[in-house]
Amino acid sequence: MFKATRHLIILLVVMSFIGGAIATAQDDNKVTFISTQFNVVEESDKARAIFEGFEDGTVEFVPSEEGPALDLLKAEGETGEGVNDVVGALHGTFPTLVTNDLMFDLTDLLAEIEAEYDVNDDFVALGKMGTEDYQYYIPWMQATYTMAAHQDALQYLPEGADINALTWEQLAAWAKNMYDATGEAKLGFPVAGLFHRFLEGYAWPSFTGGMVTQFKSQAAIDMLVFFRDQLWPYVNPESINYDFMNEPLLSGEVLVAFDHVARLKPAFDAEPENFVAFPAPAGPAGRGYMPVVVGLGIPFTSPNPDSAEEFIRFLLSPETQSQILAELGFYPVISEVDMTNLPEGVAIQAAAVLAQQNSEDAIPSLLPVGLGDRGGEINQIFRDAFTRVVVDGEDAATVLEEQGGVLQTLMTETGAACWAPDPVSEGPCQVE
Amino acid sequence: MKKFSWTPYLLLLPSLLYLVIFFAYPMYESFRLAFQKDSAILSLRDEPDENAELGGQVKLQTIVTILDRLQLEETLPNGRIRPIFWFQVEGEDINGNTVTGWVNQKSVFIENRRTSETARVVAGEPTKEWTTDFAERMFNDYRFKRALITTLILIVLILPLQFTLAIIMGLIIQSRIRGSNIFLYIYAIPLGVSDLASGILWYSIFTQRGFLNSFLDTVGLIDKPYIFIQASNREWMIAAIVLAEVWRATSIVMVIVVSGLQAISRDYMEAGEVFGATLWQRIRYIILPLLKPSLQVALILRTILAFQVFAVVVAITGGDVLTVLANETYRWYDPARYNNANVAAVYALFIMVLSLGISLFYLRAVRSQEEASKNL
Repeated sequence: MFKATRHLIILLVVMSFIGGAIATAQDDNKVTFISTQFNVVEESDKARAIFEGFEDGTVEFVPSEEGPALDLLKAEGETGEGVNDVVGALHGTFPTLVTNDLMFDLTDLLAEIEAEYDVNDDFVALGKMGTEDYQYYIPWMQATYTMAAHQDALQYLPEGADINALTWEQLAAWAKNMYDATGEAKLGFPVAGLFHRFLEGYAWPSFTGGMVTQFKSQAAIDMLVFFRDQLWPYVNPESINYDFMNEPLLSGEVLVAFDHVARLKPAFDAEPENFVAFPAPAGPAGRGYMPVVVGLGIPFTSPNPDSAEEFIRFLLSPETQSQILAELGFYPVISEVDMTNLPEGVAIQAAAVLAQQNSEDAIPSLLPVGLGDRGGEINQIFRDAFTRVVVDGEDAATVLEEQGGVLQTLMTETGAACWAPDPVSEGPCQVE
Repeated sequence: MKKFSWTPYLLLLPSLLYLVIFFAYPMYESFRLAFQKDSAILSLRDEPDENAELGGQVKLQTIVTILDRLQLEETLPNGRIRPIFWFQVEGEDINGNTVTGWVNQKSVFIENRRTSETARVVAGEPTKEWTTDFAERMFNDYRFKRALITTLILIVLILPLQFTLAIIMGLIIQSRIRGSNIFLYIYAIPLGVSDLASGILWYSIFTQRGFLNSFLDTVGLIDKPYIFIQASNREWMIAAIVLAEVWRATSIVMVIVVSGLQAISRDYMEAGEVFGATLWQRIRYIILPLLKPSLQVALILRTILAFQVFAVVVAITGGDVLTVLANETYRWYDPARYNNANVAAVYALFIMVLSLGISLFYLRAVRSQEEASKNL
């Protein structure tokens, strides 16, 4: 009896060794890719199918929410052992990884990739997170925000307005025409969604030419008054509950909308014949627009950094970049991607994205840089200013003075220098 | 003398441990989060080593001059080499004196590790000093007052409605009319629906293309959809939340009421009938007083839950124009928004203190009446 048990134990031990050996053999080329993007099931499936094209190993794709992903990576950093090889996340997620000192410097890998492809310089600079010599992430893909309209709305365009070069006045007149004709407010904004990006990257830059420095300028006061009196009365009041604008567009609740390209995409996929995409309107200072960048980093705890680097090369290849555009609606960060032959809906959106980027009066407005893990606060400051003035009807100058003070405190406490479109500053950015 | 026995204490031990691990400890931690500042000061080291003697103390955001740098290397388990930089810096300490010492790259922001001549201190050790900063931020936030008022309004509107309905529902079930049992099952349906789901459900009723508008349109009362949920229509938003909450959570009160009703002896009711009490008199003078302990439990439970109302509000109003305390807690906690767990912890404590206070008030109010009746 005793002997039998002992044999069994020995057998089990030996088997577990063999099993472990087999498992490690398989692990040699395995890349675990944790990503805060594509964490919706349909998107995850499409992404997985694309990653199957990675020939130098197997990819385990782990889509995750931002909070849990950060907690996991921080925990891996603390124990010094990890399973995640590559991190894919928005620019705004990286500051927490940077302050916790979790990421490899990818300068050398980037140089190798840049020898093959032309990677967008602005995004490469963003990936340094304010430093000169440390590439925390390599840009992976980009997105932005544009306008979209149903074909039925075009008849109400004010006379002489060019849809690819609209002004805010014309948009307001357009919204009013629709309201007068249909009796309903047919313009929509994703106030429950990414509306803060609209305020930071489109509203303030278009009217004031700046984001932080001009926060409480006279131009900003005029803008909020304009929004309150001339635009908001014709904006669908249900906007406060809109998260993704594709739904109200498809249901007909709104005819014209502003949102993230990926959040408009389902409408263009479903009914490409019914929708048009066009650049955001221009204000007195120009046409503010915000590029969004998603980056790829490798944590120090990656069990397989070699395959991780191979996988990043694969993700930046023109083939993968164009697949991601066609299927997931995120735009390439390298210039070698073939933009012809896109699915119909994607092509419509891509044209608008390019028109916005290349318009003569374009003011690229970057995501906040240097706020560290307090990056979310600036969104609340812009949102609060807008809600208090436009929705609650408080006095614009008073509210901007107050919120401007909060904004200045944030800049001073984080020591963040100004970023585009504000001019470069020595020391913390100053609200004028 | 009776011999001391360990048995009862041993039997209590598991639940005591449970309470300590899952309640007392997290509560202490959130208290610490709310009133303790974590990292405000960086201590310089005498040598470029984590274990070296501590030198001068420097505040965060201080700009320091780099006197010297040292590049060490660490071989990681994955075989890669990770450079680790130490900088010898000079800067102003917390008392305004100039100090020098070594810092790890982790603690400073530096543009270029190899060439930059200055760096900014961005991280330090937990100094664990007590502070009311976070509490002040909460009280000074312009949303705080709104959230508190909305939460209280909701409680004042929802609780009486729920209790009236729950008692009526309980009486119907207890009436022993044929088929009255079936009502128990019907009433209990919302118990199985999560609060977020019921919020979304009621949102789809009140939305522009929702069921209510389609219904009104079909019967010809309106010719274009009326928008119930909009910023200039807060009364409707409140009404929608009240309806959703009443629909969702009345049945839990009902369950407690029914169990209370079943505990009331039939003798009392029969005595009442013998003396010719009307239905109303029986409810007022027999059922309600005997139901008081159950109602007290239900009241405490419901009020505490009402302070935590969240998903229904966010699903119906979006959470920006109309907000409640629990929503503000999450707004501060959320990494995509304020990302400040400290203020969120203050909110959590504030909600707990409110709940505690109101529970004590209920307990006291009911007890004093009982005592008063004893003295009669």
